[in-house]
Amino acid sequence: MNMTLLSILALLVFPGGLFLLGYGLAYEYIDRKLVARFQNRVGPRWFQPLADVVKLLAKEEIVPHGVQWGLFIFLPVVALAAALTAALYVPMAGQVPSYSFSGDLIVTIYLLSLLTICMGLAGANTIDRFSMVGATRVLTQLFSYEAPFLLALLSPAIMARSWQISEINIYTHNNLWFVLTQPIGFLVALVGLMGKLELPPFDAPEAETEIVSGPLTEYSGRGLALFRLGKDVELVIGLTLVAAFYLGGIANPLEFVLKTLGLLVVVAGLQSLFARLRIDQTVGLWWRLGALLGLAQFLFVIFWRLVLK
Amino acid sequence: MEAQKSGEKFVVPIGPQHPALKEPGHFEFTVDGEIVTGASVRLGYVHRGIEKGTEDRTWTQNIYLLERICGICSHVHATAYVLGVEKLAGVSAPPRAQAIRTVTAELERIHSHLLWLGVAAHEGGFDTLFMYSWRDRETVMDLLELISGNRVHYSANVLGGVKFDLDVDKMDAIRRGLDFLEERTHHYMKVVTTDETFLARTRGVGLMTREQAETLGAVGPTARASGVQRDIRIDAPYAAYPDFPVQLITDSGGDLLARFVVRLKELFECYRVIRAILDQIPEGELTTRVPRRIPAGETISRVEAPRGELFYYIKSNGGEKPERIKVRTPSLCNWGTVVSVAVGHKLADMPMLLAGIDPCFSCNDRMVRVNRDQSSQLWSWEDLRQYGIKYYR
Repeated sequence: MNMTLLSILALLVFPGGLFLLGYGLAYEYIDRKLVARFQNRVGPRWFQPLADVVKLLAKEEIVPHGVQWGLFIFLPVVALAAALTAALYVPMAGQVPSYSFSGDLIVTIYLLSLLTICMGLAGANTIDRFSMVGATRVLTQLFSYEAPFLLALLSPAIMARSWQISEINIYTHNNLWFVLTQPIGFLVALVGLMGKLELPPFDAPEAETEIVSGPLTEYSGRGLALFRLGKDVELVIGLTLVAAFYLGGIANPLEFVLKTLGLLVVVAGLQSLFARLRIDQTVGLWWRLGALLGLAQFLFVIFWRLVLK
Repeated sequence: MEAQKSGEKFVVPIGPQHPALKEPGHFEFTVDGEIVTGASVRLGYVHRGIEKGTEDRTWTQNIYLLERICGICSHVHATAYVLGVEKLAGVSAPPRAQAIRTVTAELERIHSHLLWLGVAAHEGGFDTLFMYSWRDRETVMDLLELISGNRVHYSANVLGGVKFDLDVDKMDAIRRGLDFLEERTHHYMKVVTTDETFLARTRGVGLMTREQAETLGAVGPTARASGVQRDIRIDAPYAAYPDFPVQLITDSGGDLLARFVVRLKELFECYRVIRAILDQIPEGELTTRVPRRIPAGETISRVEAPRGELFYYIKSNGGEKPERIKVRTPSLCNWGTVVSVAVGHKLADMPMLLAGIDPCFSCNDRMVRVNRDQSSQLWSWEDLRQYGIKYYR
């Protein structure tokens, strides 16, 4: 691949890099503010997420005893890099994805999972007990939501007869919104995204009243800032994917902003509605309900595609 | 912190500094995966020497000191103390004073139970309920400020009576506040008993049978949620409770859900009793004269704090200062229930189980000299000071 000026811009400014970081921080602010208002609190000021990151970056990074030094330093970098890379394959802000090839859906989902895997590794890397318990919970949760989430994203792919995100985006744009025809898949995808981002009620891996901050307990300064940025970026990409697949595609920046914001409001509402699920309840919910529903719809879609059309 | 070797027990320490704890205490949970196989508790991080302190203060000064044992149930400590001292002195406060004491105590119970509801919901990761219940708790805090001028340490009691009167305006304000709170409590009752995610965290968790509760000496709502019929307001009525009896609230569930239900039902009982007292508040004086020197003798005083039975032992040698005051707070009686029911539960249930007894750490820290053989060491204040100077040099 030639590194032209354009591809460097795509990596550093738009859609990866600066744009995504800024947008992620903005969405974190909206999410926090909405949850705060739902809970009858005042909530943060608009620059609070940015201020948090700046503060964390300026702080000393403590490497605790007993960790593999290299892993401890590089895991946050890998996590953020993976999340930023995933942005290159999705129709960010309604633009054509910077890079696109047949099957990039699977690559994107893999890149999105990398953040979670990095967090699990980061937790298991330290000898802190809270981190260890957090790490097992992170990985347990990964195994519970990942399959239903994947199934929920594959259904629109089957309908579009393509595993290329840009083509699915065009297909959904020209057809009836999948949220109407495949409501189960939409729900599984959206709730799966919440599980991925460890938002309440799926925040057992970082339940502060039990295990302090879960796998990130020992992280401070730069590492913590990068993990948090990674999550913000993943929030935007996840919302974009769900909007592109289920809310009739994303054709222009306005649609992008409106549809992802709409989803964010729903996500914030769901966050403030429930008590935290225990990790065994999370696994039970996903495998007994989420996976089965996702699978049922997936099989139905295949059946529809093969037999009826 | 040492790395754990395989085969060793995996211990999750909670405290003394931990986000789940609002006060310092140390708990060690031995876990096998997520299942707790052992639990131990160590207290004593906030020992303040208040019992000893009382011996250096006059009878009147001690009201203020003892009120500061707890920041949540402050009034009830002062009430237990003044009732005991009045008994020793052979006087009793006028009926209107007793009624005002009771109103303040019940308002305090409302504030304490609402605070607990929020804390328990927070431990279960239900922050929305936490925020809402604390927002509504402000109503009762404002009422307490309105009648006493203070939000936390109301200083309502003096020996032989109370400091402030309730006029018609204040009584109306209290009634209005109670109407609002009653409506909100109905809502919380509905949330606690119908919200599926919340029920999944409370139903069947921390099950304690009535026999267990009796054996472990549980008190207050924790015991009543296991069906134990124990409430000092009914068993040995004090202040205005003989004239305005409360209903005993029990639940046979014995789990966390039952503890939620019992405390919320007690709120309704608080509203009813306060309204009854306000409707028929006795007229008369607010204070009666109490001698400066309390006649020699000893007595006990029992009251029902929001967390259960609060017990005071007071001994006088006929001077201006008490000879000995012993306080036994309800949290101390309830710790045993946490440690014994914890085994077999998930680690995730521990914070809610801890919060389930509505623990108050600082009020139950005692210094007890247990080990009396040669290996024990007793340090005087001066020894400690010298040790500290040497240690930090």
